[in-house]
Amino acid sequence: MTAKLNLTLKVWRQVHAKAKGEFKTYKVHDISPDMSFLEMLDELNNELIRKGEEPVAFDHDCREGICGTCGMMINGQAHGPERLTTTCQLHMRKFKNGDTIVIEPWRARAFPVLRDLVVDRGSFDRIQQAGGYTSINVGNAPDGNSVPIPKTQADPAFASATCLGCGACVAACKNASAMLFVGAKVSQFALLPQGQPERAQRALSMVAQMDEEAFGNCTNTYECEAACPVGISVDNIARLNREYIRASVCSNVMP
Amino acid sequence: MNWLRKVLVSSIGKKVQMGISGLLLCGFLVAHLGGNLLLFVPDGGKAYNEYAHALHTQKLLLPVAEIGLVVLFAWHLLLALTTNKDNADARPVGYALQCSKQEPGPIAKPASSVMMATGAVVFLFLILHLADFRFELRNHGSEGEEPFAKAARLLKDPITCVGYIIGTLVLGYHVLHGFQSAFQSLGLNHPKYTPLIKQASFAFAILVGAGFASLPLWFGMISRH
Repeated sequence: MTAKLNLTLKVWRQVHAKAKGEFKTYKVHDISPDMSFLEMLDELNNELIRKGEEPVAFDHDCREGICGTCGMMINGQAHGPERLTTTCQLHMRKFKNGDTIVIEPWRARAFPVLRDLVVDRGSFDRIQQAGGYTSINVGNAPDGNSVPIPKTQADPAFASATCLGCGACVAACKNASAMLFVGAKVSQFALLPQGQPERAQRALSMVAQMDEEAFGNCTNTYECEAACPVGISVDNIARLNREYIRASVCSNVMP
Repeated sequence: MNWLRKVLVSSIGKKVQMGISGLLLCGFLVAHLGGNLLLFVPDGGKAYNEYAHALHTQKLLLPVAEIGLVVLFAWHLLLALTTNKDNADARPVGYALQCSKQEPGPIAKPASSVMMATGAVVFLFLILHLADFRFELRNHGSEGEEPFAKAARLLKDPITCVGYIIGTLVLGYHVLHGFQSAFQSLGLNHPKYTPLIKQASFAFAILVGAGFASLPLWFGMISRH
């Protein structure tokens, strides 16, 4: 069995959205290297509750890397040091005994901090609501193979659709830009026949909402792609640019 | 025309304009470098003098081209300033600690993350360059001086020489990201062509940086002209 870890945590504590936050330092002892990062935080919270202190608030749900609810900056990296990993799937064996770990919430004007490490990602929901769907009534599910879609087209659409909406792309971007998220959400429909009727409107509406939410601009630094826990490619950003230009210049839909 | 205004001020609209203005400026760099490299023709400056005279006798085209370039530069600069302000506003509270998750490259700060800084250096270099060559504010030459003699004389000035070497190398680093980034902003990515564009961007950056920097290096530090 590997040795247990003793760690120093510097955690962002903020009582509510309007409150002034600050870093608080905590020590955690006997952390199993097999624990996930969230389980380590659970241990910290158990300790804080035992001492009668407020536990650290953080978002989490499935804890198996598919829901996109968890997410925090761990030592300055979204979801921690491992690539293609959500915070809940990050193991404590990635850290060394005696390490100091700095834990911060996502930072963006469009993701205001609600409490401690919890941010409001409602801006992502509003971008989705602006056009990230198909509203055409197509009746019951069609028979398999009655809408033939080549695998070469279905695969990239599915790859885009794996976006969890966790916000790591925004958090890691030096400009707090949401282009990777919006790129994925526009791409998943633009690549499929079911997405064609509202293709132009979708690109225009979702980009307009993205700008409305005051995310930054994309400078093609590609930090988002490196931070994405499911490996959404920056090809999606190029596609979003293309979709937006196409919708603006070639379609008859008004932006 | 309300739709056009909305498109132009949208985040993607601004990045598209940034890409187009940047690529047009790259075009200017090619033409400018082509002319400048005539300084190296070993004929005592004849080829360069003829080129410069041919350019300056364009009484109609030259002012149009100059105004066009000023507009292009101002457009590129204005877009940089506005998008940079948007980006700063998008994260009012920064991180205590932020580290890249990308594979580390050969240079600590990748060109993409220092575009404002390199752009600012290029802007200062441009002011120095225009003050020297276009307006002759610092070093006045004698009446009827030939263009080759003027260039050789100006590049001997130590401030000019060092400033130009730094300015042009930084310009190379600026276009290293800028050239290939413009294609991404215009939505032009392709599994076959994007790797070629990235290599072309690297080659172009070397050409611009080394090509322009070779002039102050040669005339300011090596040649005895």
